[in-house]
Amino acid sequence: MRSLPLLAIALWLSTPELAAQNRGRRGGPPPGAEAPPPAAEPAPAKTDAPAKPKRYQAIVGGDVYLGTGARLAGATVLLADDKIEAVGHNLDLPEGTVRHDAKGKTVCPGFVAVLGTGMGAPRSAPFVDGVNPFDPEIKQGLAAGVTSFLAGSPGGGAMPTGGNAVVKLAYGSVAEMVLQEDSVVGMTVPLSLADREKFTETVQKAREYLLALDDFPKKKAADPNAKEPAMPQGGDKVVAILRGKARLWVSVGSSSFNPFGGGGGRRGGGGSKANDTDGIRQALELSRLLGKGVVLQKPTSAWLVPDEIAATGSMAILSPRDRLPADPSDPDRTGTNLASAAILAAAGVPVAVTCPQGLMAGVGVGTGGIMGQDLNTPHLDAAFAVRGGLDNRKALRTITLDAARMIGAEHRIGSLEPGKDADVLILDGDPLHYATFVTTAFVNGKVVYEKDREPLYNHITR
Amino acid sequence: MTLIPLSAVPRPGTLLRGGPLRSALAALATLTALTAQAPEAAADRRPVAFTNARIVTVSGAVIERGTLVVKNGAIDALGADVAPPAGARLVDASGCTILPGLVSAWSRAGLGGGPARAEDRPAGRRQGRGAQPPPMPSSGGGSAQNKAATKVVDGLYAKQPVFGDLLRAGVTTLGLVPGGSGFNGLGAVVRPDGKTLDQLVVRDDATVVLAMARDAATKKLFKETFDKAKKLVEERKKPPEPAPAAEAKPDAAKAEPAKDGKSEPPKGDAPPTPNPQPNPNPNPTPTPNPTPTPKPEGQGQGQGPATSAPAPAKKPEAPKDPNLEVVADLLEGKRKALLLVDSAADLLHWQHAVGTELTFPRTVVVSRHDPTSGTIDGVLDQVKALAAPVLLPPALSTQPRSQVLVHPARALHEAGIEVGFLLGDSPAGVRTLFVRLAELIRTGLPADVALRGVTLVPAKALGVATKKGSLEVGKDADLLLFRGDPLAGAAELHSVWLQGREVPLQ
Repeated sequence: MRSLPLLAIALWLSTPELAAQNRGRRGGPPPGAEAPPPAAEPAPAKTDAPAKPKRYQAIVGGDVYLGTGARLAGATVLLADDKIEAVGHNLDLPEGTVRHDAKGKTVCPGFVAVLGTGMGAPRSAPFVDGVNPFDPEIKQGLAAGVTSFLAGSPGGGAMPTGGNAVVKLAYGSVAEMVLQEDSVVGMTVPLSLADREKFTETVQKAREYLLALDDFPKKKAADPNAKEPAMPQGGDKVVAILRGKARLWVSVGSSSFNPFGGGGGRRGGGGSKANDTDGIRQALELSRLLGKGVVLQKPTSAWLVPDEIAATGSMAILSPRDRLPADPSDPDRTGTNLASAAILAAAGVPVAVTCPQGLMAGVGVGTGGIMGQDLNTPHLDAAFAVRGGLDNRKALRTITLDAARMIGAEHRIGSLEPGKDADVLILDGDPLHYATFVTTAFVNGKVVYEKDREPLYNHITR
Repeated sequence: MTLIPLSAVPRPGTLLRGGPLRSALAALATLTALTAQAPEAAADRRPVAFTNARIVTVSGAVIERGTLVVKNGAIDALGADVAPPAGARLVDASGCTILPGLVSAWSRAGLGGGPARAEDRPAGRRQGRGAQPPPMPSSGGGSAQNKAATKVVDGLYAKQPVFGDLLRAGVTTLGLVPGGSGFNGLGAVVRPDGKTLDQLVVRDDATVVLAMARDAATKKLFKETFDKAKKLVEERKKPPEPAPAAEAKPDAAKAEPAKDGKSEPPKGDAPPTPNPQPNPNPNPTPTPNPTPTPKPEGQGQGQGPATSAPAPAKKPEAPKDPNLEVVADLLEGKRKALLLVDSAADLLHWQHAVGTELTFPRTVVVSRHDPTSGTIDGVLDQVKALAAPVLLPPALSTQPRSQVLVHPARALHEAGIEVGFLLGDSPAGVRTLFVRLAELIRTGLPADVALRGVTLVPAKALGVATKKGSLEVGKDADLLLFRGDPLAGAAELHSVWLQGREVPLQ
């Protein structure tokens, strides 16, 4: 039954993110266990048990933004159950496919908020046991286009910490709301000399542990009494980073991008530090030590050292609306500006954008935010990056695929590619236009939001 | 023919309207008169016949004009053509409606600390725009315990005015439930005119009370306890082994949590009966400690060797966890449960924790409408899958963050689910019950469903439907006499009869 011509897909099949397709369905292997995209992994022929027939849905005729930067005009997105089956022109739709007409509309992946609160998610672990799948904020998040976000704490401190989960706005389902847990751990720089030494040592031990673990099967075969190597004390988070199971977020400067903690450095959209180049360089040092790119949380001066960041494969989370003026009389006070995202992206640094973090609002969809400092308009935060010179085609990535990479979930969400979760938006205009609304949102292949039916924006027409 | 003076007794409200001294004197006089009357009324053992009454039987058709005869505390006859027996005390109930007494299946009245949950909010206040959202509970939880064998009556103080107040408001059968989350304990059936615990408690283990909460501890507790109880049920099904090896004793004692024999469940005292009768000797053991949870371990550790040493002659049984025994009884269908599930989210979490296959006799209790976690009508399919009646607050709710009304009771009824209503803990709330029911009826709930929902459905939930909850020959004569139709605005509760005796309404 899988005789679908996937011609159009071949056009963009070369993107590396694709390799993660054909993962287990929901409830399969723990998603957090997946390493970031390995090289071309041949899609294994599905040994399909006589499962129940798939439920197909097709979003037909829309202007499809894939989230990777590519766009297919008048294309079809075919969903099979909770996954994306195919995207392209002239797809053969299986019998019984439910059609959703998207002519004259745009279709794009659900937006990913790199950090959020509320929207049905509890504040701390255990996440799945505390979700509220009927939280009205879920609808509001969906109306804003958000289909996934990182809930909980991104961590911070001299050693990696954390306690967070990627939460999906799967309205009405407990199990589907938590995609994966602890795919982000956080640290704060600058580190004291002693802390730096301790971290270096922990990384060293973690590497030795992983090597010993690799050797263990051989050892075991030779000596059945061989002891399994023990996890180094306090090294589990570092091991997770080295295994690619967790991304390291580094908070530069004293304030962390954390709605619950953080020294309260940011107020009403301002940056915390006039110049944090030293902190950024130390974060990159950690990155080199680990051999993994790190995620810089709202660095102020990153635009001064884009190439250094790109060289380590690190990434950055920015809020283009955060501004800090330079001070000509103080060479250390370099400030930040609207162009940061564009400058970093031009150097090849993946950038995710988020809203400025208001004093009162945190990063949720509550209506207590000041001047839109909330997640109600993620597309406008991306649009601010465009205003600062970011390529219009790349800008959507800052709230979809690249945002998913920040939270280590790019194998499941963030783009419209076969095998990924069917988290799709139908919009009534360009995704980054200020007047655009979400008309329909799908999460895991289910329609969870329709503008006409929810008492949020259904009174707004044009 | 004796006529009940319908308007002779002044109402307390009218008394208080006079001058303070005068009204106090008047009240004193009335009280004296009443106390003088009471023994006389109690001594009156004649049958009572209510004539010319509109009789709402709940279980059958409404008798528009008929007679109801009460003898020895039970309904002796009722119908349109029934003649009052000779020598009966006649009550002319022209223009009156007789209903069965109200049954409150989920109450914390008299248990102290105010209402344990939000079910007792003032009537008519809906959770709409501007309502304070309930505080977000920690997802870790931690208070959930298996206290299934703890009796709520063990923490009950009998001499409280609230029971009499509830009775005078029309509640003739009261189900008291323990609070908390998880397996809260055994709920009781209470006859609200008792002065002592013995008189008050009809049955001290009527229901097993389970309360779902949205946290990890509660979910884990439910899952693990039901798994253990299922194993225990399997063990019980096995034929008893003829000679359990005595040598295995020390091992068994080690494997099971050590516990002294005193905390064995009083199972023999109160064998769960499928068809429960009011227990004449309800085994009240008031303890100073309100929650005497049998401790599974610790207590017996020091005595462990001492108790096992002199025991070799007897066959040592593996120590039983009384709480687990209760849960196993429940799974075997020997007990019935009240399962608190307050919202659609909680129901999904219940299923997430224990699955959809688990069945046991139960009634689902929704103690409040919670739009921010989804009202229960949002998950009709899952409610149907529970295959149980649902008790709800007698109120409409709203969609989240809006004033758009929703009618959970009607939605459930139309989906084929039996619905009942919670009466709340406060007498004042019960007095406005029929106004609230009228609102539910005006918005589409059939009137007979509404009336059954405050009588027969909760009676079934408590396992007392053989005696309570409807007007049938042989059932207890728990009657409410209204002047007018209680569902029409101007009706007034004229008198309350508990097992054939009139309750003084002062």
